[in-house]
Amino acid sequence: MTQTTGGLRPPRTPQARENPPRELLTTTVGSFGKPDYLQKARNAFARGKLTRAELEELERKATTEWIRIQEELDLDILVDGEMYRGDMVAHFAELLEGYTEGGLVRAYGNRYYHKPIISGPIRRPKPMTVDWWKFAQSLTDRPVKGMLTGPYTMLDWSYNEAYPTRRDAALALAEAIREEAEDLERAGAKYIQIDEPAIHARPEELPIAIEAMAIVTRNLKAKTISHICYGDFAAIYPGVLELPVDQLDLAMVNYEYKYLDLFEKDPFTREMAIGIVDVHKHELETVAEAAEGIRKGLKYVSAERLLPHPDCGLKTRPVEESIAKCRVVVEAAKLVRAELAKKAVPA
Amino acid sequence: MVPSPALETREDERGSVHHLTLKTTVIGAFPKISDDPGGQHLRSALHRHDRGEIDDAVLDAAYAAATKGAIEELDAAGIDVINDGHIRWDDLFAPFATAWGGVSRGPLERCYDNNTYFRQPLIEGALTTDGKTLVADFTYARSLAKGEVKAAICGPLTFATLAIDKHYRSLEDRVGAVTDALVKELEGLREAGATLVDVEDPAIVALPQHIELAREAYTRLHRAGVPLALQTYFFPADRVLEDLASFPVAQVGIDIRSRDTTALRRLDVFGDKVVVLGALDARNTRLETRDELTALAEQALKLVKPERLWLAPTTSLEFLPHDVVTKKLAVLVDAARAAGGVPA
Repeated sequence: MTQTTGGLRPPRTPQARENPPRELLTTTVGSFGKPDYLQKARNAFARGKLTRAELEELERKATTEWIRIQEELDLDILVDGEMYRGDMVAHFAELLEGYTEGGLVRAYGNRYYHKPIISGPIRRPKPMTVDWWKFAQSLTDRPVKGMLTGPYTMLDWSYNEAYPTRRDAALALAEAIREEAEDLERAGAKYIQIDEPAIHARPEELPIAIEAMAIVTRNLKAKTISHICYGDFAAIYPGVLELPVDQLDLAMVNYEYKYLDLFEKDPFTREMAIGIVDVHKHELETVAEAAEGIRKGLKYVSAERLLPHPDCGLKTRPVEESIAKCRVVVEAAKLVRAELAKKAVPA
Repeated sequence: MVPSPALETREDERGSVHHLTLKTTVIGAFPKISDDPGGQHLRSALHRHDRGEIDDAVLDAAYAAATKGAIEELDAAGIDVINDGHIRWDDLFAPFATAWGGVSRGPLERCYDNNTYFRQPLIEGALTTDGKTLVADFTYARSLAKGEVKAAICGPLTFATLAIDKHYRSLEDRVGAVTDALVKELEGLREAGATLVDVEDPAIVALPQHIELAREAYTRLHRAGVPLALQTYFFPADRVLEDLASFPVAQVGIDIRSRDTTALRRLDVFGDKVVVLGALDARNTRLETRDELTALAEQALKLVKPERLWLAPTTSLEFLPHDVVTKKLAVLVDAARAAGGVPA
């Protein structure tokens, strides 16, 4: 990755880092685009032309670069960028016992993934993300989120050949993910994100998703987050407020913020990470447009509990576009923070 | 093989008795690529086209080759009534949102309860079409196929309920406009020689509250003069089964695997319509046995005459990897023959 973060201000001073903002903390959903050298390396690894150790060295290099970029962008809560993952389900499926790799299926357009198959009892033989989290956190003073895929989404995005019911499979997955979450917490993670983008796939199964998430988070003291995107959020609201996490992380701008209207009738009771830039289009939002998204969110959630961010992971965007989108998020948050500060201080 | 007791027999002019074999068909898209060596030609061509390395003509040839491959595979599997595999369809709406006036391809949205996404049709003006959107594809498929080929369109209710509409004032207006455009497409297909057209409309079972709106739409589609196969999937048809039986369509497809359903015990409501029984789970890799499918067919045969029962996957085959599709289609054909008393 060429570090062409042109126009970025220098990293904050250590003193500034000790006093991070308390309102409108900025973050991202999890993934960033892989730099060309890493994409080529992954292809070479798949062809047997590169060793695992050689690939991991490049994954660490890319992770380091993304941590630096996030600091330079002045994001408040960082992610490791998932340089070591193919996709959010396949990565865990490769590491859990009970899974076998499926063939390629299409996600959309010309994008395909290996949809995994639950073919036996699920078991976590060893930690799956803890070393990556430790590595990423060692690179920065800012908090780095532990990133997991939720049990319901793991189930829904897999073929289930082993368990008699979907609930059985989801609960078995929940136990494995709970072990991972607890290991992340033991390692020091203050934020643990357990993504459930499939939670509205079958609204009638929301109770299963809630039951499974309760298994994952029941012993955690870290702040827990769940990312939800691309689906009929209205179909699971307000029931989704029962999902046992501290923060719901929601795609909003892609829907022109229409789901905020739901909060008129049933108030939103959690912290909310609000999507203010669209990750599936090349066009860059203006800071003014993104700031307006934050103001919309502030109608329903206080600034201490509202976290601006992109709608979803940025892995489908080229590196430069990802950086530009994140910059808009940060600048929009600063703009609105300044507005709030003005209001708070009497003239 | 002992034929199903419910199965009828037919005598030919020499007095020989033949058991009727159930027909098989497919719905929606066939996998565009495979994990086999050389199986990703189209994927690679699309990437190269995006990068400007190949022109439209080369990409078109890649589409044509993939379509030919899909048709050959469906024919070789022994499927009785095939389609073109929808190789050129980026999603259920893409051909129409690309070709029609007044609409374009909008943001990504999840396709019902699948980890598959489509671009929402973005309606910003009055919908217009010359009715020729699918004619070339259909003609090409028919020139290649050994047997019967059916065409397909998206369902009016599904299009209208999943679109972003900045032009029409109501769902009713939107369904009406989509239906008018689809009537023109059906007329175009009829003129091109289509004798059966799938109308893929999962919204009818996803949103049964709109059944009367759908009925009005299908009454208008029927006037295009080409037999229609209304294909529903993903959700049970239980709440609208009798309604569907009264729609002016030749066939009704129902998914009996995705969720619990009572439909299998109520198939007699369909009278003289063909029932396309979605018995092969197209959304799970678990491979059914022939006996499992045959048992489902035999249950249906208690209520439906064999010439009016077709066996099919529950939905598009593109939700499965290519290698699994190959195995599943073999079981489907085997089961249809077994249910008809033909030795495997």
